[in-house]
Amino acid sequence: MLDLRYLGKVTAPTPNDVERGAIRKFAEALGDSNPLYHDAEYARANGFSNVMAPPTFPLSFSCGVELKDLLGVPARQLLLADVSFEYERPLVAGDRILVTSKVSDINERPGPAGKVSVAVVEDEGRDDLGKLVYRLRKTWVLR
Amino acid sequence: MPPPRKLYFENVRIGDELPPLTKPMIDRIQLARYAGAANDFSPLQVDDALARSVGMTSVVAPGPLSAAFAGQLVTDWARGTPIKKLSMKFSRMTWPGDILSCKGRVFDRWGENGRYHVELDVRAENQKGELVARGSIILKVFYSFEDENRARAGQPPLIVNVPRQSILEAPPAPMPSPKQTRDMKPAKAAKPVKAAAPAKKAKPAKVKKPAKPVKAKVVKAKKPAKAKPAKAQKKKKR
Repeated sequence: MLDLRYLGKVTAPTPNDVERGAIRKFAEALGDSNPLYHDAEYARANGFSNVMAPPTFPLSFSCGVELKDLLGVPARQLLLADVSFEYERPLVAGDRILVTSKVSDINERPGPAGKVSVAVVEDEGRDDLGKLVYRLRKTWVLR
Repeated sequence: MPPPRKLYFENVRIGDELPPLTKPMIDRIQLARYAGAANDFSPLQVDDALARSVGMTSVVAPGPLSAAFAGQLVTDWARGTPIKKLSMKFSRMTWPGDILSCKGRVFDRWGENGRYHVELDVRAENQKGELVARGSIILKVFYSFEDENRARAGQPPLIVNVPRQSILEAPPAPMPSPKQTRDMKPAKAAKPVKAAAPAKKAKPAKVKKPAKPVKAKVVKAKKPAKAKPAKAQKKKKR
């Protein structure tokens, strides 16, 4: 079981700059050649202010705290069981996103081989003006 | 390059299948690139010796790769419509050497106060046909080309109220229970897709017709008692 003392832990807002090159590299790593991710002119013609980031891009953001310090166990013992992104607007190059992470649940769930310990971490990304851009929910399983 | 024709609500039907996307084999180079690009250096994803020491055959591929592939499947189909929501559950580990294929189908669509959404059921399978991830993606779309032009001109949107079909016609497909990431029987997880099939019968083909006479007229869909919401709406329209 994960340590319940970590439940409710919240990180301080940490700035993450959405860089064009970082978006391109992320899309390349996925093998996704959609011009929305590397061609600013094309993105503008589609109604975006700059190249757009792929939907799972916020996984590359830092919340300022390493996972092991957020949940109190080494990262090698954690596996990601699910992710859920919800966008208020698309992320585009040039955005500066303030990321906060919160440990919103620590619990046990039945698994095929007995109970497993899980932690839910909820991230929030806001722009310079404090407006919500996205939410990201991750469930970690202790192996 | 000129922008592609967008995906519009009026052209989407429940049960529509997306062209499947088969990705090239996940290799070590992709894993290295992804680790760098995603800033994700989880030891079990980068350290082979460590992975073997805990009984794995090699490093494991990051689960979110399949979520990103599902995102690509939908973004390619939706021609530039940004994703509003993406949720994926990873039910089976993926490894270097795996070839993932993503499939998707329209699970639901609804319009409310001039805002239109399309929900897709998406899944990723490995080369053995085993389910590795499953989830849902929601897109926010314009009703039609005219609706988009109105938005660009700062005019109020077209309003065509379309209730959620899946709620009216069939219970939502049960998601595989949030079990752990380790291997889960694919047979079990494959079931929900079948369960979602009844929604297909609810072919909302009739909903298309209101598209022609639309003039920002407020179509108030009366709370349909049970089925055939599309028909009810059509009647209203005339």
